[in-house]
Amino acid sequence: MAHNVRPSGYSKFAKKQTYTRRMSTRKSRAQMLLSERGGGMASLLLVILVLPLFLANDYHYDVAVNIGINAIVVVGLNLLIGYAGQISLGHAGFFGLGAYTSAVLTAHYGLHGLLALPIGALGVGVLAYAIARPVLRLSGHYLAMATLGVGLIINIIISREAWLTGGPDGMYVPLLEVFGTEVYGGPMWYWIVAATLLLAVWLSLNLIDSPVGRALRGLHGSEVAAQVAGVDTTRYKVMVFVISAVMAAVAGSLAAHFSEFVTPAKADFSHSILFVTMVVLGGMASTFGAVVGAAVLTLLPQFLADFADYEHVILGLIMMTVMIFMPKGLVPTLAALARRGARRTAR
Amino acid sequence: MSLLRVENLGIQFGGVRAIQSLDFVINPGTIHSIIGPNGAGKTTLFNIITGIYAPTAGDIYLDNVPITGRRPHELARMGMSRTFQNLQIMKTMTAIENVMVGRHLHLNRNLLSCLLRLPSVTRGDRQARKRCVELMESVGLGAYIDAEAGSMPYGALKRLEIARALAAEPKLLLLDEPAAGLNAAETKEIDEVIVKVARSGVTVVLVEHDMKLVMGISDHILVLDYGRKLAEGTPDEVRANPAVVAAYLGNVGNVGTVGTMGTVS
Repeated sequence: MAHNVRPSGYSKFAKKQTYTRRMSTRKSRAQMLLSERGGGMASLLLVILVLPLFLANDYHYDVAVNIGINAIVVVGLNLLIGYAGQISLGHAGFFGLGAYTSAVLTAHYGLHGLLALPIGALGVGVLAYAIARPVLRLSGHYLAMATLGVGLIINIIISREAWLTGGPDGMYVPLLEVFGTEVYGGPMWYWIVAATLLLAVWLSLNLIDSPVGRALRGLHGSEVAAQVAGVDTTRYKVMVFVISAVMAAVAGSLAAHFSEFVTPAKADFSHSILFVTMVVLGGMASTFGAVVGAAVLTLLPQFLADFADYEHVILGLIMMTVMIFMPKGLVPTLAALARRGARRTAR
Repeated sequence: MSLLRVENLGIQFGGVRAIQSLDFVINPGTIHSIIGPNGAGKTTLFNIITGIYAPTAGDIYLDNVPITGRRPHELARMGMSRTFQNLQIMKTMTAIENVMVGRHLHLNRNLLSCLLRLPSVTRGDRQARKRCVELMESVGLGAYIDAEAGSMPYGALKRLEIARALAAEPKLLLLDEPAAGLNAAETKEIDEVIVKVARSGVTVVLVEHDMKLVMGISDHILVLDYGRKLAEGTPDEVRANPAVVAAYLGNVGNVGTVGTMGTVS
């Protein structure tokens, strides 16, 4: 390294050059595994395949399926919050609307579940589009308020229209039927939800690493710069809002058929907050962070149930600790640590 | 024929007339500078031309098409691109991703194709990346291709803005103080970049305070003061204009001090 001593103004530049050269030539297997697309998809698939070996009873399956359902919502919400930088405090509304569309269409109108699900998704998509245009002109606190309002209105309608929805008592949902067989029980639901989650993650990774995804991340970084580059930022914000709402609706439909029962609680405000918390805790702008956030916040209350009265206090403390020491969220922080470790061992 | 034509332009913020009855023409293939004291309305003018502000009076034509009141992304489609005085960098993205955002209009932006990662998308991205690497190298950012934009030094970010604007392949490029905050050596590099861009056939309009840079590379200069046109012409004409000297140095009534505004070196 001794020959690398140069006049001070010059050495800095030279160092940077060697740094990037080293980065670009060594696209090693380790780096592939650390990359979101290659390693992430593989690890997720592995976890999904191996996990059933540890699921001993119905309760375990129940938790696993709920993790998957939440993760589908959070992967979509992360596109909106983490990547495009827009907030929504009303996504449980779309989740609930998806759930109730499936419930009402199958229970009251005898529609096939596999037909009700896309109808719910489409309906929520249209609604989200209609709402998004005026709402997404707002930003920051105002956007939070507006989306909160949307969620509340959906929740109130579901609670009040008892003739259709059963009101606060909720309503029964028929079993989902696929290829003539009724989907029933943990294991069958596990694979359906797992496949849907994998699809959601794949679509999300694809989108982010594409011109549309860069436009979304770009408008998050600087809206005016994105506009000047030709990005119709309003259109893109509306688009990602609709995508995330549709993903929430699909998850809602699955949840309705899985639990065979829906209540307005699926669409309530605290459920919206829970989804946002999952995005933030797992790591904003990280698709796998969204999955991890959903897993952690679905699992933790189960573990903490033994603490009875103190459950929420402990949950709150854990969340505070994570956010103080890992403000970027679990996955981005751990990934950065792993990268640093890999670089150190490579040296 | 003019590339950009501004007629009787005006904008008012409350009671403040930031731009008043301004007319000028920009011919293709030239380097134009807009200069003037602080608060003269230079950046406001840029913001109107690029569609960020809507003017309260007057018309703007790009290639004889009226563009007054069009939004920035529509103007980008028509071949207009710009940089910002207060840097507008997408800090959570890498340097090359910033430049690739600039390439947005040349890529497959169909939502379904992107969601399904069709070969046309990945192929386009590969080509775009190659093109953007070349572009970054041409503005001297070869060492920063995959760097996190948030951790790059100021001088490099200034060039990153230029690279991103160029990635759109504009016919009209507006640079808002490209040399502000740069030292002499960096300014000279930016100077070379601008000349290189202009030679490639892009019409360049710049707002700049560095008189040495402006006088050295401009074909035509427009001087603003209090939102009005004070003077325009070639660098020599502007330099010899007593009104310009007065606006910059105060009304000293001594034309002999013009030399301090910088000479071509």
